[in-house]
Amino acid sequence: MLFPTVDFAVFFLVVFTGSWLLRPHKIAWRWFILASSCVFYGWWDWNYLMLLFLSIGSNWFLGLAVFRTLTPDGERTNASRWLVRIAVVVNLGILGYFKYFDFFVATITDKMRSIGISVDAPILNIVLPIGISFFTFQAISYVIDIGRGQWRKPLTLLDFAVYLSFFAHLVAGPIVRASEFAPQLDEEPDPRYVRSAEAFMLIFRGMFKKVVISSFLASQIVDPVFANPNAYGPLAVLMAIYAYAIQIYADFSGYTDIAIGIALLLGIRFPQNFDSPYIALTLQDFWNRWHMTLSRWLRDYLYIPLGGNRGSKAMMYRNLFLVMIIGGLWHGANWTFVVWGAIHGSYLVAERIVRAKWKGHELGLPPLLVKAMQWFLVFNVVCLAWVFFRATSVDEAFTLLGRLFASHGSTAGVSLLLMVVIVASIASQFVPARFPQKAEVWFATWAPALQIAALAGGLVMVDALGPEGIAPFIYFQF
Amino acid sequence: MPAGMILVVIVLALCVAGLLDADSTLRKSNAKGDGIRNEIAKTVASVTDALHINFFRNSIDSALGKNQGTKIDVEELLRQQAEAESAAAAAAAKKVPELPAPTPAEPMKIWVGGDSITQTFGTSFQRITQSTGIFTPTLDYHVSTGLARPDYFNWPEHLVKDVLPANPSILVIMFGANDGQNMVDANGKALERYSEPWMAEYRRRVAATMDLLKSPDNQRITIWCGPPPMGPGTKTHGMDQLNYIYWTEAQSRPWIQYFDTWPFFSDSNYVFAGNLPNADGVVRGMRQKDNVHLSTVGGDRLSWAVIDRIGKLVNLSAGNVTPPPSQGPPPSVVERTEIPPNMPGAE
Repeated sequence: MLFPTVDFAVFFLVVFTGSWLLRPHKIAWRWFILASSCVFYGWWDWNYLMLLFLSIGSNWFLGLAVFRTLTPDGERTNASRWLVRIAVVVNLGILGYFKYFDFFVATITDKMRSIGISVDAPILNIVLPIGISFFTFQAISYVIDIGRGQWRKPLTLLDFAVYLSFFAHLVAGPIVRASEFAPQLDEEPDPRYVRSAEAFMLIFRGMFKKVVISSFLASQIVDPVFANPNAYGPLAVLMAIYAYAIQIYADFSGYTDIAIGIALLLGIRFPQNFDSPYIALTLQDFWNRWHMTLSRWLRDYLYIPLGGNRGSKAMMYRNLFLVMIIGGLWHGANWTFVVWGAIHGSYLVAERIVRAKWKGHELGLPPLLVKAMQWFLVFNVVCLAWVFFRATSVDEAFTLLGRLFASHGSTAGVSLLLMVVIVASIASQFVPARFPQKAEVWFATWAPALQIAALAGGLVMVDALGPEGIAPFIYFQF
Repeated sequence: MPAGMILVVIVLALCVAGLLDADSTLRKSNAKGDGIRNEIAKTVASVTDALHINFFRNSIDSALGKNQGTKIDVEELLRQQAEAESAAAAAAAKKVPELPAPTPAEPMKIWVGGDSITQTFGTSFQRITQSTGIFTPTLDYHVSTGLARPDYFNWPEHLVKDVLPANPSILVIMFGANDGQNMVDANGKALERYSEPWMAEYRRRVAATMDLLKSPDNQRITIWCGPPPMGPGTKTHGMDQLNYIYWTEAQSRPWIQYFDTWPFFSDSNYVFAGNLPNADGVVRGMRQKDNVHLSTVGGDRLSWAVIDRIGKLVNLSAGNVTPPPSQGPPPSVVERTEIPPNMPGAE
C-alpha cells in the first residue's frame, strides 16, 4: 500500500479512528495496530508476511535468550556474546539470501568465465521483500542493545511485534530503535491534544516533494539522460546529475515526512531522518543530516564495534572507509553501490586528513567565500557519488560522466522550469527551520473549515501537478 | 486539535478533494479495474460531472496540458481511411511492401515510437540508424502510453494525424508495457484486464491500429516490436499474452512485420535475464534497475537486431549495418518462429 493513494487514505481513517478509541485499552490497542500493520504489509504480497513473522519471532526469542544470559548487573557473558553473534548471522543471512544471492552468483560466474571456465549458475531471480533491509536493521539493533546491557527490559512478544511491524516505518524507515519506540507504547497520549498542524504540514510537504518534485525531475530529465547518456550533451548531463540529487532527496525525505506525520497523528513520534542535507559544508556534516537514522545505526552497530575512533589514525580511517562501503552495499547488490560508498568513504577520510593538517591555518579569504567553496565542493562530491548510485552499472556511470566533456549532444529536457525547480529545491534547504515551524503554528490557528479547504485544495493540486499514477518510492527497493 | 476534530477535518478534506478530483480518480480506477471501487468512482464522477464540480480540476489539467487524449475510436479512424482508399490499393497490400534500397544520397525515412521502453531503445535506434548513413530517423516516444488508454494518449489518432503525414518508409513501434490495465470499451463498459472480453477488445484495437498503418501504395513497412519479458519484482505482467495478439494479427497483414524481442532479453529457456552476453561473449546488464526498461546496452542490442530484421526486407547494403560484437546479440539468439499464447513462467 502506497501512502499517496485512496487505498491508504481509507486504511488510515480506519486505523486513526480505531487507534484513538482503543488507546486506553493497551492490549487491545497493540493487537489492533499489529493487525493494521499486517494488512498494510500484506497488501503487497501476503506471502512475505511470513517472513516478517519469522523475523519477529526469531529476534524476540534471541533477544530474550541474550537477556537471560547476562549477569544480574547486565554485564555480558560468553553465552550472551555468542547469542548476539547468532542473531546477527541469522538476520544478515536472511537479508543476504534475498538481497545478495543473485549478485554473488553472477559475480562469481563472471569471474570464472573471465578465466575460461563456463558455469551454468543458478540465478534465482529472487524478489526482494519490501522493507526487509529496514526491519532487519531494527531487529539487529534490538538484540545488540540487549546484549550490551543498554536495553534492560526485553519486550513482550506483542510489544516487539508492534515495534518491528509498525506500518508507518515498516517499508522505508526511519530506522527507529526499540528504546525510542517501546516507551511510547506504554504512554497514554491525550486525544485532546494531537499535534495535527505539524502532522498535516509534514504529510503535505512529503506528498509535494514525492509526487510533484521527484516525479517531475525523474520524467523531465533524470530517467531519459541516465537511460541513454550518449545522446545528451554536457548541459543536459549536468542538469540530470543535479536533478537526481534533488529527486532522491525529495523522494526519500518526502516518504519520511509522510511517515513521521502519520505516526504523529497516532500519537507516536519518530526520530528526525533528514535535516537539510544539501547545506552541509563537510561530508561528515552531510551524514549528520542525510538518512540520520541509518547514519546512527552504522555508527553504533558497525563503526564503533570495528574500533571507531579508538586506536591509530590509520585504523580509524580504515573503519570509516569500511563502514561507508558496507553502507553502500546495504543499499543494493551492485558494484555501483560499492563505488558510491567508496567515494563517500574516501572523501570522509580525506576530509579528516586535510582538517588535521590545516588546523590553525588561515587562507586569508573572506569566511563567506570559504564557506561557499566548501559547500560547492561537498555538494558536487555528493552529486558525483549519486551518479554511481543511480546508474545501472559502473560502466554506464563513467559513460555518463564522460558526456560532461562531450563537444555535442542533445539538450532535450533542459528548460527554465527545470532549472528553477533545481535551484529552488536547493535554496529551500537554506530556509531556517523556524519558518516552517511558524507556518505550523499559524496553520494551527486556522478554523477547522479553513483547514479542510486548504487540505482539500492541496491534495487536488498535488494530484494535478503530479504524474498519472504514483511511482513507487525509490527507497522501497532498498 | 482533538482527535475527534482531526477525524472530521480529514474526512471532510478527503471528501472535498475526492469530489474535486473525481475525474482523475475515475481514470486511475478504470486503469486498475477496481471492481466495487470502480463503481463508486463512476458514481462520484457522474455526480461531479452533473454539478460541474470537476470544472476546477479539469481547468488545471487543461492549463497544464494534461489528459488531453481523445475518445475517437480507432475503428472510426479506420473507416475514414478506408473511404479514401481505392480497391487497387487494398489488393496491393496483400504482399509484403517492396521498398527501394536506401543509399547515403537517398536515405530512408524511419520512425521509431512507443512507450517509455522505446525511450531508451528508440534513442539507441536513432543513434545507430543515423550511423549507418542510409536512414533518417525520427524518435517519438510518450511515457505511460499504449493502446489501453486513448483518453490519456490516443496513439492511433497520433499516428494518423502526426506520424503518417511525414511519410516514413519504415515504422518501428512498441507498445504493451502500460497496457496491462483495465480498459473501457467503446460502450463505456469497464473490462477486467486479461479477461476474455478485455483480450477481444485489445485485439480489436491492435488489428485496427495495424490496418491504419497500411499505406495506399503499399510502400510502408511497420516493424511491430512486442515488449520484452519483465523482470522479477515488477508489476508488469502478461506481456507474452499481448505478444501473442500482436503476432497473430500481424500474420494476415504483410505490411506489419512482428518482431519478437523476447529471446533477446531472456535465457535459453525464454525466462527473463537481466544480464546477457553480446556477440563478443562479455556479459552486460541489459535492463535498468527497475527490470522493465532497457539499459543503453540493451537498447543497442535490440536496435541491431531490428536493423538485421529490416535488412531481410530491404536491401541495406549501401549502409554500415554490421553491429560491433560488443553491441549486437550473439548469432545464436534468434526470434521465435511461433509465439505461444501463454509463455510458461512468463511475466
